[in-house]
Amino acid sequence: MGLIQRVIEASGLPTLSITLSRGISQKVKPPRALFTGFPLGHPFGFPNQHFRQLQLLRLMLHHLQRIDTPGTIVVEKLLKDADPDHACVLCEDQGITDHSPSASPGDNRPTRP
Amino acid sequence: MRNHKFVEFDDSPWTPLTTRISESRVALVTTAGVHLKSEASYNMRDPAGDPTFRSIPGDADPADLKITHNYYDHTDADRDINVVFPMERLRDLARAGEIGSVASRHFSFMGHILPPHIHTLMHRTAPEVARLLRQDAVDLVLLTPA
Repeated sequence: MGLIQRVIEASGLPTLSITLSRGISQKVKPPRALFTGFPLGHPFGFPNQHFRQLQLLRLMLHHLQRIDTPGTIVVEKLLKDADPDHACVLCEDQGITDHSPSASPGDNRPTRP
Repeated sequence: MRNHKFVEFDDSPWTPLTTRISESRVALVTTAGVHLKSEASYNMRDPAGDPTFRSIPGDADPADLKITHNYYDHTDADRDINVVFPMERLRDLARAGEIGSVASRHFSFMGHILPPHIHTLMHRTAPEVARLLRQDAVDLVLLTPA
């Protein structure tokens, strides 16, 4: 998917992707990526978790505005012990409009290329 | 695309975001193999994959969509397409005024693409999708894997 993203970005459109593998993204180097630790087949969590789906879209939009270094992979650890039902405070059904780095537990620092 | 040597790059292309999110037209591009039931499935007989794409109307009904992709378990995504392709939640954000609008169409690939189809993807089908996104006056693109 990073290849497709690179082509779209190079054509003049800003992009951000969810990545399920930091290792692959570090090689393919999409311009902006977000890693959350969800398993394959579940980039937006599990069925009918509307709050999760909204949360992840909002996180994508948030980081699309915030990332200013090409090739950045932001890590947002939304899962605790890989269990989506025991996740961090960001996983509460409250929206994340006021999300900020200081309010984000875990390591969400951008990985600089 | 998980069991082969990945194409590697030293740097990334870059286009700055120049619009406000709340005023932006947003499109989704997925590699989860989503497509309209009325359209041809992706070719699963070619072990090197299928580099073609499908467009999905921005107002598509989830009941009209299906997934053709033999390289990940899409049982949960079959129950709720938003697990891999959150088009309904994107509409929610548009209704709430958090984004400007949803693009008139989204685009989908089947993400298992190996040589020689990588060349087709990078030089033909992905550039065509980029052209169509610009034609649709999209401001930013969110990409979702599977």
